[in-house]
Parts: sequence; structure tokens; C-alpha cells
Amino acid sequence: MSLTATGQRIILSDVHLSYGSQRVLRGLSLHVDAGEIYALLGGNGAGKSTTMSALLGFARPDSGTILVAGHDPIAQADKARDQIAYVPENVALYEHLTARENAAYLLALAGRHPAPQDIDGAFEATGLQTSAWDKRMGGFSKGMRQKVAIAIALLRAVPVLLLDEPSSGLDPRATADFNRLVHDVARRGAAVLMVTHDLLSAADIADRIGFLESGRIIDEAAAQGADRFDVRDLHRKFAREAVTA
Amino acid sequence: MNAITLIARDELRLMRRNRVTVIAFALLTLLTLAAALISWSHQSGIAETRARFQAQAAQEFTAQPDRHPHRMVHFGNFIFRPLPLLAAFDPGVDAFTGNSMFLEGHRQNSANFGDVRQSSLLVRFGQLTPAFVLQVIAPLLLVFLGYGAVARERERGTLRQMLVQGVSARALLLGKLLALAIVAALVGLPALAAFLLIAGQPGALAGPMAVMVLGYGAYLALWSIIVILVSALVRRGRDALLALLALWTVLVILLPRVAPDIAAQTHMLPTRLETDIAIQQDLHRLGDAHNPDDPFFTAFRQKVLRHYGVDRIEDLPVNYNGLLAVEGEKLTSRLFDDYAKRSFTVQQAQSRLTDDFGIISPAIALRRLSMAAAGTDLEGHRRFLAQAEAYRYAMVQQLNQLQADTVRYADDKAKDAGADQRKRISADHWQTIPQFRFKPATTGDLVEASLPGLGLLLAWLAFALLALLPVARILQKARA
Amino acid sequence: MTLLTHELRLLLRSRMALLALLLVALLAAASVAAGMAEVARQRDVIARIQPKQAQDMAAVAQWAAETKDPGTAAYYSFHATWDTPSPLAFAALGLRDVAPYILRVRALGLEAQLYDGEAFNPELALPGRFDFSFVLVYLTPLFVIALFHDLVSGEREAGRLRMLDALTGSGRSLWRRRVLLRGGLLFLALAAPLTIGAIQSAVPLPTLLSVQGLVALYLAFWIGVTLLVGRMRWSSVANAATLAGIWLVLTLILPTIAHVAINRLIPVGEGVELTLAQREAVNRAWDIPRADTMRAFYAGHPEWKDSPPLTDAFHYKWYFAFHQVGDESVAPKVAAYRNGIEARDTAARGIGWLLPSVGVQAALTRLANTDMAAQLAYQDRIRAFHEKLRNFYYRYLFTDTPFEKDDFDRAPTFVGGA
Repeated sequence: MSLTATGQRIILSDVHLSYGSQRVLRGLSLHVDAGEIYALLGGNGAGKSTTMSALLGFARPDSGTILVAGHDPIAQADKARDQIAYVPENVALYEHLTARENAAYLLALAGRHPAPQDIDGAFEATGLQTSAWDKRMGGFSKGMRQKVAIAIALLRAVPVLLLDEPSSGLDPRATADFNRLVHDVARRGAAVLMVTHDLLSAADIADRIGFLESGRIIDEAAAQGADRFDVRDLHRKFAREAVTA
Repeated sequence: MNAITLIARDELRLMRRNRVTVIAFALLTLLTLAAALISWSHQSGIAETRARFQAQAAQEFTAQPDRHPHRMVHFGNFIFRPLPLLAAFDPGVDAFTGNSMFLEGHRQNSANFGDVRQSSLLVRFGQLTPAFVLQVIAPLLLVFLGYGAVARERERGTLRQMLVQGVSARALLLGKLLALAIVAALVGLPALAAFLLIAGQPGALAGPMAVMVLGYGAYLALWSIIVILVSALVRRGRDALLALLALWTVLVILLPRVAPDIAAQTHMLPTRLETDIAIQQDLHRLGDAHNPDDPFFTAFRQKVLRHYGVDRIEDLPVNYNGLLAVEGEKLTSRLFDDYAKRSFTVQQAQSRLTDDFGIISPAIALRRLSMAAAGTDLEGHRRFLAQAEAYRYAMVQQLNQLQADTVRYADDKAKDAGADQRKRISADHWQTIPQFRFKPATTGDLVEASLPGLGLLLAWLAFALLALLPVARILQKARA
Repeated sequence: MTLLTHELRLLLRSRMALLALLLVALLAAASVAAGMAEVARQRDVIARIQPKQAQDMAAVAQWAAETKDPGTAAYYSFHATWDTPSPLAFAALGLRDVAPYILRVRALGLEAQLYDGEAFNPELALPGRFDFSFVLVYLTPLFVIALFHDLVSGEREAGRLRMLDALTGSGRSLWRRRVLLRGGLLFLALAAPLTIGAIQSAVPLPTLLSVQGLVALYLAFWIGVTLLVGRMRWSSVANAATLAGIWLVLTLILPTIAHVAINRLIPVGEGVELTLAQREAVNRAWDIPRADTMRAFYAGHPEWKDSPPLTDAFHYKWYFAFHQVGDESVAPKVAAYRNGIEARDTAARGIGWLLPSVGVQAALTRLANTDMAAQLAYQDRIRAFHEKLRNFYYRYLFTDTPFEKDDFDRAPTFVGGA
């Protein structure tokens, strides 16, 4: 579970998955390496959330292979989930517990018992303002809740981070904060997979972007140089995809 | 069509399309009808049994052979309380009181053989009667059907939309209330039908029945308002449901049990044994019949002798023993009445204390109204006991008088072989003793007894209606 | 910090859960207190009547001793019997509020005395008492519903379910822990007041353990029901509504229907019938040859058949004999009446296997000795005592032994059961 180890942490290869007669994933293949941020970009109904479910072991593929940190999320659900930190679109934590209590509790559920100063350190790293650490989370904004969730992921020190539409509903400043944070996590060696329909945010953060359409990757773009992505080019690809979808 | 009726129609349509709602409603209707049927056949079964026993007891009484009248005083008579007609709707305390009484001289017996002592423990779970269904279960159905009426709109954001479109919160509340009230009326309909069936019977009482219809109507309307109020005040549907369930539990299940417990501990009833002993002691203090020199009985003897202008008991034109029996019965009866009154005063205080809880529980107020109007409350039982005692006294005194007038004193005292035959009087005399006829309460009495409960319910209703105004204001602000 | 303390904090931070638990504890404590007050009152009454009863007997002895007539003594002496509440009676008052726990009898026909009622206000008895069994049988399921209906659905609706599942692997141990914690706290809230009351009332340990076991079983039943409904994956609201409906059917509707069915299927030859018959039999003695009565009496009580024959004068032994013969003549009716009541009781217990609400109530009142069986057992004790009384007076009556003042003290006294 060493974070510095390299290699493919997330592998989907030729995954087919259908709900009843509705085929959602049709030969999806992608891989995310340690220390890499991969954005899966897609419109409504492209199969983003199904991909997420499959990675978490909530949906069973009809065929193909999925490996998360080397484990099959269905057959070895416990082992696979032990390697995953998952940040849902709307981070819902216990509103009547404080940020610190939430972190301690959820980590305990995952079998981890960090010292209080470690939690402080993680909160610090996420940039959550100190005054919020011991406040009940009832009044937290989405950005603050995400920070707590990321702090929990940091403390778990897992090799795989899954982000579900992380930038939706965040203001530009909060998005920038969040992106920086995700970069930090990746730099520590985690493989980050985010699904999103927000092209700009993806361009901002990802090392690679996969265009998901009708359940498979139709195109992929990798960041290059200081400008990273040609956003207009990305936009063209995304729009075409949206038209053909 | 105005906003209120539109909202009501929409709500009703929603309920109609919800399968669970329809099933629950159908089940309750079935339950009411079943309860009415069961209750009706149960009550007529009881009435028939009691009538049969009453006839048997009367026949046995008049069929007694020639006897000494005092033997008939001890043979006594069994009487039965006929059930009031409305007991089929609300049997009240009938299962707990016992309805037969053995009447004899110098003793006041208890009413025996109440259902509760010869049934299984299930009787304590309540009885399936139309009154039970309407008092306990119907409010629960209204809770299930109405908890989301306003909370749902708020939760889904449609409330804000409506308010923005110019629908006033008051119209919204009234519309939802109208819908639920219509459901409540439908819930009450089968019970009303059962009621009308009873009304078709001879002897049904229009006044008390009108009060009951009014009372149950007010009760169901009240619950409709309570449901809408809570639904409007609580933000989430789930919380509204839980709050209403809690409210129902407290008002309908918990308080009706706690109130009597408090009443029983506040006003304690003496036991029968203590009363019996106290009466014996009082009697002893008045006069000791076993003491030939007792001042009371000596004075009585002197008075009788003076009245007839004779010197010796043997010279009296009447049987002195008979006169003595009359006098003795007069004494004991006065004491019985006295102690019975004391016991009832305590019981009334208990019941009144329980009734006062109607201020915080409309279910208690309705129960009071319902039992009072049906004539199946404590007062109804007391009426039976009072009439039974009056009848007992008249019967015993008539027999005692027969002893004074028709049995010769010398025969009474005689102990020879033939004396037993000479003491006996003709069995024809037993025919002259009238049968017990229970006089039911008049319509006026029943209505009057049920008015306090009705007053409480209407006050509740008025209060709840008034509460709609501030709640509408709060809801109106929810737009912000 | 262990997971359990985390869970505990999580649960107790929820205002509704905390309120529900406190309320259960409060209601349980109040019901135990109310039950204990009622039992204490009944014990007080039983203690209070003893001197009054002794005084009454002394008063009778005062004048009746002068006659030296055992018949007069027997006729005028009322003897007290009582049914002391068991230590556990406070938890389930059962029939004790409507059936007499004190009854005076004399050596005359018992069947005319045995069914006398105690003075009680029927309006107070009608809704039933507020005792621990009420809190357990009726209210506890509602609190179980309040605490468990959203166990999983609440997490789903709050959007945490996926995260929890992802965090904990299968999550099964999480739910097990939460169920046990909530169930355990509920049990504590119920059992703690009960146990305190039981210790104060000197309830034997096995009985206490049985009651606690019953509480745990009943809780387990309702928790099981809520979990089953929870498996349907409905919304919290649908869960709550369904569960409240199930509660209504199981605790209010089905028992009342069962009651009607039992009373219909098992008719009890009315008690009135046997009392009427007994009266007829007793009073007939005045109109038939006294020798007939004595023959019938001696047939059942041969030990007195050598008693001197009756003369024309009134003799109390004949009087007591015809009362006894009257009782004996209705023995089959008495047996039928009692069998009917017992059959109803048995049927209700049978239904207790299907309806846990009824089953728990039946088991509790059995353990507390406040059920119909306890009532009938009290009647049996009265019967036995009555027989002792009769035999005591017969000894004087049938041997024409004068009844002296001291003999009043020799009369058997009732031994109150516990």
C-alpha cells in the first residue's frame, strides 16, 4: 500500500454492464496510474455514475475486468474498498457531529484510529479553517464538507481516490482550492479518478481526460506543457460527443 | 372555482391515486362495519340472555310455595339491568359492572358477573365497537392520510411555487383541511349508517344520538385540523408523521390510562369489607336487637304499644315481629343508602378528575360524551343500583308488612310440630309483588350528562381553528 | 475511542433518539412507580382490615358467646380472606383492579358468596391500568419504530449510504452494531427502572430474569419487524407508516377481534345460572322434609351421621346442612362455569403464541400472579378455607358442644398467600 509505488492503480478493461435491457457500459477501458489524475468527462447518460458504481462494487459488470489497487471490487469487495477513498457529489456527513468527530468516527468505521494531532494535520492540509474543526457540520458549505471528506481520505492514506462531480456547485475560488488539494493528494502517490461534466474544471486539474460516450471512451487527451490542454480543442471534442450522443 | 376547492380537489385526487391510502381507507370502513355488526350481535345476545334470566327469576319467585314471608325476604329476587339501546354503539363500562343483582333483606349485595371476570385477558385490550374504531383508530388513519399534506409541498419546493403564484398560505391550509375533513366525514359514514340502523329500532333516543353525531363529528374535524397544523409546522414529512404519531399516542393511548390511575390514587375507595363492618358497627350503635333491654328497641316497643293502646305485645292486632322487621329494614336501608352515597361520591370525584383530563386529551372528552349519551357510564350504572335498592326496599318491606298483617304473632313464636304450617301464608301473595322494571334515563338526562364533554370538544375545535391563523402566517413567511 | 462510543455519541447527539430513550426510561419509571404505589395501597388495605376484622369478630363473640350456640356463632361470624399481591404484581396489575382481593365468607353456602365483587369505579378500570406491562406491550413498539424505522433508509436519504458502504466494506457489522446499540439502550431504559422496582419489591431473581428475558424477546420481535420492513428499501416515511399500521393491527385490532371470537366460540354458562340454581336448591329445604336434607348431607359427610336426630325445634345443623347440600347440588354447574372461564383463558394464551402483544401480557401477568389463573387459585384457597370453617363449626353443631367465648379464637384463620 505504499504511496510511492508506481503502476496502474485503476484498471477497467472492456467492461460491459447493463441494467436489465439497458446497456450502459459498452466496452469501457481505461487505466489510472499512481500519482495521476484522470478526469472522465461525459454528458448526461454517458455512463459516468455507473462507472463509479462499478468501481465501488455496487454494480456488477456483465463482462470485462475491473481492478482497484489490484482487487476485484465485487469478488474482493472488502479488500478493494479498503483501498478506496470515495468523495460523492454531495458529501453528506453527520450534521450533528463536529468535523473532527465525523472524521474520527468515519475513520474508525474504516478501521483507522488516528491521533487527534493527525486529524489536525489533515484538516490543515485541506485548508479547512481552524474555527470549523470543532463545529457541528450542519451549517457547512459544500466546499467545507468536501475538505473534510478529503481530509478523511488523506488520513486513510489509500492509493485510490474517486471523486464524483467534485466541482458542481462550488464557486470558482472554492474550485481552485479544491483542485490544489486534489493535486496534493496525487502528488503523494494516489491514483485519482474523477467523473465530471465540467470541462473547464477537468482541464484545470486532470493529467488525462477521457471522453465518455454511450458507455465507452471515444477519445482521450493528455496534458502537455505549461498550457496543459487546448481548451478550445477539448470543447470541440466534447461538443461533438454531445451531438453524437 | 376558488383556490381552496382546487387545492382540496387536487389533494383528494392524490389520495385516490395512492393505492396504500385507498386500501387503508377500505380496511377502516370494513373494520367499522365489522365492529358495528359484532357489537350489535354481541349486545343483542346479552340483552336476550338477561331478558331470559329475568323471566326465569321472576317465574321462580312467583312459583314459590306457601311460605313464611320472612323466608321470601331471604329467598330474595334476582334482577337484571337491561342494556340501553346505544350500548351497541358504545358499551361503556358494561363489561366491567356486572348486571345481575341478588336482592334480599338486610343486605346490599354487589352487582355480579361482569364480563371482565369471566373473560380472558383479551378483554383488557379493549373491545371492538364502533366507538372504539372512531375514538382510537380513525384519528390514526387521518394522521396517515394527512401528515404530508403541507409538509410534502414544502419538502418538494412546490409550496414556494404556489406562494409565488399568489396562492395564500391560508387558502392552502384551508384547501388541505377541506380535503382531509371530507375524508374524515367518509370515515365516519359507516359508523353513521350503523347508528341509523340503531335509530330504526324502537326506543332509540334522538337527542343523545344527535349529541353523539355532533361530538364524533367535532372529534374527527379536530383531528383533521391537528394533522394539518402539524403538517404545516414541521418541515419534513417524516418528522410530521413521527410528531403526529407521538401526539396520537399521548392523547389517545397514554393519557386515558394515566388519568384514571391518578384519580384512583387521589380519591381512595373504601373496600366492601370495611363498609360492611362499618355498617354493622353503626347498626350496633343504633340498637342491639339481640339485647332484650336495648333502649332503642324498648322505646320502639313502647311506641307500638301506645299506638295500639295495648299493654302487651301479644295483645297487638298485628304481628309485632313483622313491625320489628319493617323497622329494622328501615334502619339498615338508611345506612346502606348512606354508605352507597359516600362510595359514589368518591367514585364521582374520581370520574370528575379523569374528565378534567379532557382539557388536555380530546379522546377523554369524547369518551365522556359518548358514554354519557349512550347511558353506559358510571352514572348509568348508579341509576341501576339506585333503582335496584329502591326496588329491594319496597319488596322487602312489602313482605315484612305481610308478616305483620297476615302471620299471627303467637304462630310466629310457636315451636310445636304444626307451627311451621301455621306460619306460612298463601303463595298468591308473591304475585302481588311487582316485577322490577328498570327505568332508563330520559332523553333530557342523557343529553344533559353529555353536554360537558361536548363543550370541551367544541372548545378544542374552536381553539384548533383559531390556531390555523398564526400557522398560516408562519407558512406565508416560509416563502422567504 | 472505540467504535461503540463513536456510535453512542452519534446516536445521543440526535435529538429525537435521545428524547425517545429518555421518554422510554421516564415512562417505564413512572409505570413502575405507579404500579408499586398501587400494590402498596393494596397491601395497606389488607393490613388495615386485619384489626377491623378482629374487632368485628370480637363484637360478635361478645354477644353470641352468651347463647353458647355454635349455630349462632357460625351464622354471624364473617371470616376474612385476602389475596396478597405477589412481589412482581407492580409490573402487571392484571385483574387485580377489577377482581376482589379481599372477601369475607361465612360457613353458609359458598356459591352465593364467592362471586361477590369489590367496590370499584368501572370508569377507571375501563381503559386499563398504567403499569409496566402497558408501557412494554403498547408503547415500547412505538419507540422501537421511532428508533429503527430509518436505520438504513435514513442514511440513504441523507446520501451517506454509499459512502458508509464504501468505507466499511460490506457494512454488515455497522448495522449490527447500530441495532445492538439502539436495542441495548432501549432495553436498559426499560429494564433499569423495572429492576430497581423489582429489587425494592423483593422479586426473586429467577422471576426478575424471566421478566427481563421477556422484555428482551419482545424488543427483539419488534426490532425484527422493523428490520424486515426496512429490507423493502422503502422511504423512511413509508417504513414508519407501515410499521405503525402493523402495530395497530397487532396490539389493538387483532386482540379485540380474538376476544370477540373466543367469547363467541366458548360460551360460559353464565354465573347467574348457577347462583339461581343454588338459591333454588337452598330455599327448597324449607319445603321438604328435613330428614331428606339430612340424609343428603350425611351421604356426603358420613362422619356426622351419628349426630342426634332432629326434633321439631329449629336446629342450626339442619340450616348449615341445607346450605351445604345446596352448594353440592350445583357442583356440576360450578365446574362447567369454571371450565368455561379456564377454556377462554387457555384460548387467549394460545393466541399469545401468534400475537406477541397478547403473549407478553399473558406471560407477565402469569409471572406476576395477577391473571385469571391467579384469580381462580384465590377462589380455590377460599374454597379450602371455607371447608375448614365448616368442619370447624360442624364439630360443635353435630355434637351439640356448647360454643364458648374461647372457641371464637379457635376458629381457623385464613393464611394469606403471597
